[in-house]
Amino acid sequence: MVRFKHRYLLCEIVSEDPRCRQCIDERAVGAAAKEAVARTHGDYGLACCSISFTVKYLNAYTGIVLLRCRKDFYRLLWSALPFITYLENRNQRYSCFFNTLHVGGTIRTCQKFLVQYNRKQLLLLLHNCTSEEERQSIQKSLLSCCLKEVEEEQSQSGDEEDDCAETD
Amino acid sequence: NTSMCWEINVKDYVCTHDIEGCAGCWGSFQEMPASTFAQARAAEINAMLKAVTQKSSNSLVFQTLPRHMRRRAMSHNIKRLPRRLREIARKEAEKAVHQKKEHSKNKCRKARRRHVNLVVEFNRRQKKNIWLETHIWHAKRFHMVKKWGYCLGDRPTTKSYRACYRAMTKHCLLQDLSYYCCLELNGKEEELLKVLARMCSIDTGPTFAAVPCLSGRLQGSLVLYRADRYPEDVLGPITFIWKPKDGSGIPYETRQLWIWTHPSLKQDILTELKAVFQCSEPVETCSPEPIVTLLQEEKQTDVAMSVSKKRKREDHEGEKAVPVKKIIGDGTRVPLQSYCWTSQTTGVVISDLTMEILRYRLIGPLSHCVLTEALKTASVQTEMADAETELNNWWVENCKNSEKVSLHQRQEAIFELLQGISSPSEIAAGTILGLTVGDPRVNLPKKRSKAMPNPEKYQGRDLHRSWSCAQWKPLSNHTDDPDNEKVRQLLLEGVPVECAHSFIWDQTICKNVTENKIPEQDLNHMRGELLVPGSQLDLGPRESKIPILLVQQPGKVAGEDRPGWGSGWDIYLPKGWGMAFWIPFVYRGARVGGLQEGLKHSEYKRTPHVPNDFPDCPAGIQFAKELENILLEKFKRRPPAKRANYVKLGTLAPFLCPWGQLTKDWEVRNKTQEESVVTSSADSKSCATESQVPCDLKPGLMIEDSQGDMMEEMTKIQNLCKEDGAATSSGFFVLRSRKLLKQLSAWCRPTCGKGQRARPASKLGQKEMTEDALLPIFKCYPQVLVWVSLSLLRKGSPELHAMICIPTQEDYLQLNKDQLFCGPQEPKHSDIFKHKILKLKERKKNNRKALESGASDALEAKAVEEPKELILGLWPDPLPDVTSHCSRILLGFVTQGDFSLAAGCGEALGFVNLTGLLHMLSSQPADKKGLVLLRTPASLQYRFARLNIEV
Repeated sequence: MVRFKHRYLLCEIVSEDPRCRQCIDERAVGAAAKEAVARTHGDYGLACCSISFTVKYLNAYTGIVLLRCRKDFYRLLWSALPFITYLENRNQRYSCFFNTLHVGGTIRTCQKFLVQYNRKQLLLLLHNCTSEEERQSIQKSLLSCCLKEVEEEQSQSGDEEDDCAETD
Repeated sequence: NTSMCWEINVKDYVCTHDIEGCAGCWGSFQEMPASTFAQARAAEINAMLKAVTQKSSNSLVFQTLPRHMRRRAMSHNIKRLPRRLREIARKEAEKAVHQKKEHSKNKCRKARRRHVNLVVEFNRRQKKNIWLETHIWHAKRFHMVKKWGYCLGDRPTTKSYRACYRAMTKHCLLQDLSYYCCLELNGKEEELLKVLARMCSIDTGPTFAAVPCLSGRLQGSLVLYRADRYPEDVLGPITFIWKPKDGSGIPYETRQLWIWTHPSLKQDILTELKAVFQCSEPVETCSPEPIVTLLQEEKQTDVAMSVSKKRKREDHEGEKAVPVKKIIGDGTRVPLQSYCWTSQTTGVVISDLTMEILRYRLIGPLSHCVLTEALKTASVQTEMADAETELNNWWVENCKNSEKVSLHQRQEAIFELLQGISSPSEIAAGTILGLTVGDPRVNLPKKRSKAMPNPEKYQGRDLHRSWSCAQWKPLSNHTDDPDNEKVRQLLLEGVPVECAHSFIWDQTICKNVTENKIPEQDLNHMRGELLVPGSQLDLGPRESKIPILLVQQPGKVAGEDRPGWGSGWDIYLPKGWGMAFWIPFVYRGARVGGLQEGLKHSEYKRTPHVPNDFPDCPAGIQFAKELENILLEKFKRRPPAKRANYVKLGTLAPFLCPWGQLTKDWEVRNKTQEESVVTSSADSKSCATESQVPCDLKPGLMIEDSQGDMMEEMTKIQNLCKEDGAATSSGFFVLRSRKLLKQLSAWCRPTCGKGQRARPASKLGQKEMTEDALLPIFKCYPQVLVWVSLSLLRKGSPELHAMICIPTQEDYLQLNKDQLFCGPQEPKHSDIFKHKILKLKERKKNNRKALESGASDALEAKAVEEPKELILGLWPDPLPDVTSHCSRILLGFVTQGDFSLAAGCGEALGFVNLTGLLHMLSSQPADKKGLVLLRTPASLQYRFARLNIEV
């Protein structure tokens, strides 16, 4: 079967300013990326990259962003990402930069990578924590996501309730 | 869609946290605490895990495995799957098992295929819906439908739409109409006529008492009404045949009358007949059938018992008790139920002969060729073949009488002469020819061939096989061939009355013929024993003689184009002989059609089809309801976004024609208009002068005559209306008065512009369309529908339930200006219900949530709030004013519509409101009379069509 092949860039938005998270949304990220491509590769590069370019996933909390691009031109996008220095939203500008974590061929591989990556991050956090209170809360969240794995296999319907319980 | 799923989850999470965040840490310019960071990560991990573990496609588990991991028999042996997938595969396998239909195999194949069991099964299958004798033949070749208690062939499984049409126009199309019901009336002619006259009206055409029909020479057809209820309460159309008088001179002899009806109308007609003749108590003795069926039933129960024992009987009794195949006659008839009623006061006996007499229809110009080739008249026989059997004893008896032999010879001669005519339409409509024929299986050709007329025998005649050119050749150009002379005489004089006599009227003879049929098996056995294989089988005196009846079926009678199209012969046979006649016809090149072909035949003939086109009779109403349900189900099966939104299209009733409301709305409209007309009568005067005034003196006189007739009729009807005025206001009916229809038909034609057309209209002696001519019609027929035929001027093919509308003045102007003007467009309507439906949906959702939380009273509230269900794209039940809902005023609806292969353009048949039609005609310019607009339910485009009333 013939299909269009894509590349998915899993990036992390790193910013000093915590307020920056507020302005992370699909439009802002997409515009920033396109602007960077236009700046570095010109009109041709922009045109190439904007074929089927979308922001597939975005988590303002963790600053994780998944960008999609055609396989032929992902290098252009990839090379342009380091040139993003700020995100602009609602006339507010916050400096930040993009850290590309992973380049995948399917959303699924990116998801798998993200699970691994987040786990590593949590463990790192556990190592570096300073106070007992912090350690306990991190352990709690770490356990919650690990336990979930077991639960999920048993019943899929229980997930939503657990989700709610956790957010509360 | 999984990606959507996980995204939404995460977003929910983010949203809920955003609020907290704004209030808490993010508002103040502080570092984010590690705990929130960890929580966010954990949430993301959960979302991702969920997305990853979920199966993405709707393929089965083992299909998602890479190729090198696939194993044989993976689909039903889950142990061949990798262990991690086994759980999911097990669930899938369970689901599949439930979906599979459980196949009952309580008996082994050998037992099931045993002859006794096969026959039992065979009889069980035809219990619910009656099978025709040709059922097995049809079931192999047709899409079967269960309708009116029968199993009928709907359309051939092969591609044959065009081929069937070609057969109808050029050769011969065969149909099995055995499901039509025959009611027999037996009694004194006077009594019968007196009572039956109450059930029909002379206005609608010839009645039971028409002279050629009464003598038994022609078949008649008419529309039955409830007694004394004309013009309302239609029962349905019928055809009838009187048995010709055999004894001359006796004036008060008992006569036999067959009334043939459609099965959907039968019950209504039968109950009405019983009521009218005051028959109540059944008579068991008059029909020998129940006993026979009883015996059969007994046998069957016997066999069923023996089968239930699951043991083969060892004695010979068991062998004999093989059940009879119930393919003959009405197998479902309850043996104790009576189908014979007699009247105490008049002595009239009504009997229900359903499935006793078979009826095949041959349509096409060469149908008589098929008949003459397939059937050979019986040879005269004076000795019995076998003294013991009853085979042919009636025929031998008959042949002893020299008068009857000569009659048979005359019938034979006429039958032979049929080869000389070029199309059945040349003979008088409804001609009846009785005949006694030999076994048609004997001279069955080895191969299927096409019956063609014999050109050498009748040299002088042009043997054009299409109706277009064979019509009305001047008779003078025939040669002086004696045979030709005879053919000409036949055409001029028709079949004489004596020749209509047939033994099929005699039930005892029919029974004898049915019972003494040589089985197919024996016949084949005899064929095998022939000395020269493949030579003609000569049964000699043992050959069965079968009485049949041939009835000419008139084709297109009304209208100007294609006269006689679709004419043919109906053949009536005694039961049991169905397949014996069917196969020879098919082998002579007749193409077989089903119900669909019958519908197309009547559509091209522009005649109303039973029961689709009788919206005022109970069967028609029932049919319309069923059709609505079917169409609605079909509509609902599509997703709402993928189906036509009829509210936006301005179609109020796409599935059911609201005749009642249409007529009522027009009545109201007429009343309001009349009031306005009274104030400005000058306009109508000018309108009257516009229509042409005939200049000749003679036609003028005739006009007066007809006017007088009309007025007389009007007063009569007015009286009638007054008698039961209450009933008239309640319901609509279809106009069937021939006089008025003729008048309307003349008014519909364009009166000027085309000179040659103007003349005949005025010569017919029609009244002009003036105010005083219209007013009585308005008064007498407030709620009346008229059967019209429409042919499109240009593009377009009308569909079922298309709307017939009145064009506006601008449309005429535009049509005049632009010859290629297709028609105006309906502006898009707005869907006022969409909002309501969305609201209802939301409320339902809320209710469900409330229900989950355990509030039981919410359920009750919901039940109270939603009495009816709204469907997106359909107008809910109380319709607004149907006539003025769209930009063009609605006149009526189409009941049959398609591209007509016969006319070469889109053609439609339907009903319009009489009041609306007259209003339209009076306001139309003279050269545009009869122009209407047609719009299919799922389109905004109006198309011009010419309206015709064919009488």
